Amino acid sequence: MSNNLKDILSESNKDIDNQRLMDYLSNHISQADLHDIEKTMADDSFVNDAVEGLQQMKPGKDLQLYVEQLNGDLKKQIAKNKKRKNKRSIKDQPTIYLAVIVILILLVICFLVIRRNNPVVTPENTPNSIQVK
Amino acid sequence: MKPDKYKHIDDNELLRQFYADKNNEWLGILLQRYTLLLLGVCMKYLKNEEEAKDGVQQVFLKAITELHKYKVDYFKSWLYMVAKNHCLMRLRDKGKQPEEIKEGLLATADETDDKMNLVAKDSILTQMEMALQQLNDEQQQCVTLFYLDKKSYHQIAEQTGYSLLQVKSNIQNGKRNLKIMLQRLQQHEQ
Repeated sequence: MSNNLKDILSESNKDIDNQRLMDYLSNHISQADLHDIEKTMADDSFVNDAVEGLQQMKPGKDLQLYVEQLNGDLKKQIAKNKKRKNKRSIKDQPTIYLAVIVILILLVICFLVIRRNNPVVTPENTPNSIQVK
Repeated sequence: MKPDKYKHIDDNELLRQFYADKNNEWLGILLQRYTLLLLGVCMKYLKNEEEAKDGVQQVFLKAITELHKYKVDYFKSWLYMVAKNHCLMRLRDKGKQPEEIKEGLLATADETDDKMNLVAKDSILTQMEMALQQLNDEQQQCVTLFYLDKKSYHQIAEQTGYSLLQVKSNIQNGKRNLKIMLQRLQQHEQ
């Protein structure tokens, strides 16, 4: 008796998985599980409203199909957003392009300056080669 | 129903991962857990299957957009509030229900009840028995049959002659009244 009284006070924080909920809706559930779900309904308005709504669906409707369709659409939406975000992130950062161009220009300038100060030694312009002539 | 591959990761962890890298795929996993519940809630308020499906998609979009803007601590309660508000707005737009939407009223059981979480001590159990006797007959009968005799809603409805809605309402109101009475008794003792 006292344990059952404690049950009234305790909050059912259990998350019901979708399969159990479907089993409840189709009455393919044990008495213990049924009571468990109804206890969660009594504590959780989200679950309670959801069950009341799902019970209003026309009989024979494939709930699982509905859920899969909605999940598929959600995945597509998230993939689309990700693509758009990637595109935008490249477009939105012209400074990166600018920085790369500046670095390349600096590298070319450095190369030219070094080349000018240290001319390449070839047989034609070495002092020895002049002596041979 | 396909099993959730990420069952081992709880909602809070998924949300934490999302806030860490802002990757919507975490939200996708999280939202998919609630598709069936959201469909049910939208169906309850909108009473039309196509509108309910459309409603779920709108709630998904809203959730993805809003979660980027601010931090949510109680995801499940928050999502329920978003869904309920969306449905009520749709009804209001159609002129079906001029109900005022107050977020405060939509606080869900697990948030409000968290504050009222009571520790079951012997003295509380004695007080509980007293409080149970003070409930009105309908509530007392339904609460006793449901919590103590572990009967289902249907069994209680059959046994008492009440409708299913009356049974649910008696159980929920009875439980709430019991908590209020207990709080009063505890305050009185202190």
